[in-house]
Amino acid sequence: MAVYRRGYQRYQGPLTGEWDRLLVLPRFAWESLMQQRLIAILFVLALFWPAGCALFIYFSHHLDLLQGFGGAASNIFQVNGEFFFVFMNVQSFAAIVLSAFAGPSLIAPDLANGALPLYFSRPLTRTTYVFSRMFVLAGVLSPVTWIPGLLLFAMQSGMAGWGWFAENYRLGLAVMGGFFLWILLVSLIAMACSAYVRWRVVAGALVLGLFFILGGAAELANAVLRVDWASALNPGRSMEQVWRAMLGLEPLPGPDAWQCAVCLGLMVAGLAVVLRRKLRPVEVVS
Amino acid sequence: MTPVIELDNLRVKLGRREILKGVSCRLGASGAGKAIGLLGPNGAGKSTLILTLLGFHRPSAGAARVLGFDCHKQSCQVKSRVGYMPENEALIAGMSAVRMLRILGELSGLPSRVALEKAHEVLFHVGLGEARYRPLGTYSLGMKQMAKLAQAIIHGPELVILDEPTNGLDPAARARMLKLVMEMKSEHGMNVVLCSHLLRDVEEVCDEVVILKDGVIAHHANLEEERRANRRFVELEVAGDDGNLAASLREQGAEGVNEGGGRWRIVLPPEVGLDALWRIAGRESLEVQRLTHRRDSLEEIFLKAVGHIPRTAGAPAPEGVASNGRL
Repeated sequence: MAVYRRGYQRYQGPLTGEWDRLLVLPRFAWESLMQQRLIAILFVLALFWPAGCALFIYFSHHLDLLQGFGGAASNIFQVNGEFFFVFMNVQSFAAIVLSAFAGPSLIAPDLANGALPLYFSRPLTRTTYVFSRMFVLAGVLSPVTWIPGLLLFAMQSGMAGWGWFAENYRLGLAVMGGFFLWILLVSLIAMACSAYVRWRVVAGALVLGLFFILGGAAELANAVLRVDWASALNPGRSMEQVWRAMLGLEPLPGPDAWQCAVCLGLMVAGLAVVLRRKLRPVEVVS
Repeated sequence: MTPVIELDNLRVKLGRREILKGVSCRLGASGAGKAIGLLGPNGAGKSTLILTLLGFHRPSAGAARVLGFDCHKQSCQVKSRVGYMPENEALIAGMSAVRMLRILGELSGLPSRVALEKAHEVLFHVGLGEARYRPLGTYSLGMKQMAKLAQAIIHGPELVILDEPTNGLDPAARARMLKLVMEMKSEHGMNVVLCSHLLRDVEEVCDEVVILKDGVIAHHANLEEERRANRRFVELEVAGDDGNLAASLREQGAEGVNEGGGRWRIVLPPEVGLDALWRIAGRESLEVQRLTHRRDSLEEIFLKAVGHIPRTAGAPAPEGVASNGRL
């Protein structure tokens, strides 16, 4: 019978489980995001660099195709920790841009329209809500970060053979682990910014600006105080230091990887506190 | 039967201020399809109580249980059985009603296909069928209220908490909203908690009423019983010689007090109906000019509970209470 004819009936059937409910918000959010042309364009653009890296790996195993470079080709076309570090650096920037455009549309409308009581009056906790929203960003950022990273690693392993894989499996783990940390940090920054300002455009600008502002502030503090520890306040730089340690590369000058990791941990904790304070179903004025 | 709401010395603090100061009561019965009215002046603690029942505020002492589940420790069980219509704007302006309801339905635990069906069904039910694909931001205030009601009942909850559902509605929309609330309890067996400033709305819909004042229960009344009792209290106005009326009433087992000028206050025994009064009036050749049950009991109850002096006919309404019963 047509819906408009049968009238309202109370639903008495079985309810879905907790895990199904956890994926409700991401499912609808992905659908909306993929309908936005700008996000789709950014998504495609972010895949150019991984494609270039794949070509790089291919040529590193087919040096005979690069006779124009002479003997220098074998020095240039090396797939090692430095190669993956450069790859991660470029893709981390793509992740920032994507999260700046995709992130604020997740939380800001809920807060701006006061929709949180509708969500939280259902079997959905604040933590579940944050995880749901983080899943959305993880789903958007994964195809431009750790998934192409692992594909490149697999491609190199396939072309270089088992010996190379056994010697460098740590690079694959570093790519995956490093990007997981980056996705966590970027998602929390995007969500905290949109929870704080509640206006999508401003929140997006704030996400982009935060990385540059913190980077500039860190350099300024280093120059004024004649120290180098302030570099740890720059999330991008700190993450680079951690990645270099994970990839087994020489560290950058300044605070070491552990100090940077502690700084990043404090940033994550701070962002979690902001989200906890802002994502409340009701404002309490005491 | 499990009570719908059970409060056991419930205390809630917001910051350093204690809002609910040891509230204890048992309201409603699970599955009975009854409505509970929550009344009280501003700042009495009504909203805090509702938000505590939804698990938004943590009790500082005591406990609150909804349908037998602890609101704090078992909030997931409570929330999957409760529908909530907030007082404030809560709908996402850029989203269509169907999409919003579908998301909220799925969050309540409806399977995806069922949620889509129910979203359409409930939007037709509340009269938004034609506007269901329009962005919610384009809705009028009345339509938004209906959409909020729709999202509260999409998953068929056992208890629906309505916070000021008739706020900003014109008389026709208000009547429709109250009709829907009545249907919810009578046809669908849902229990309803209605928080309103409009005494008439509460009186029309609710079977039980709790009046809060300064964070404590000032009065708890069973309106159904009041109504039944009121049916026994009759005000009669007659023209003609009513000298024998008192004796005739006593013959029927009724008690009557003559207030002068042909006005009588009569208490009927349960087995005696109004037709008996008509028969007595006919026998005594009296012209009945007015015959009414006692009314406005809720207003009286409310005014007594909040400490205002009961109004007498012609006297101005006490401060803070308009003549239409609105606070």
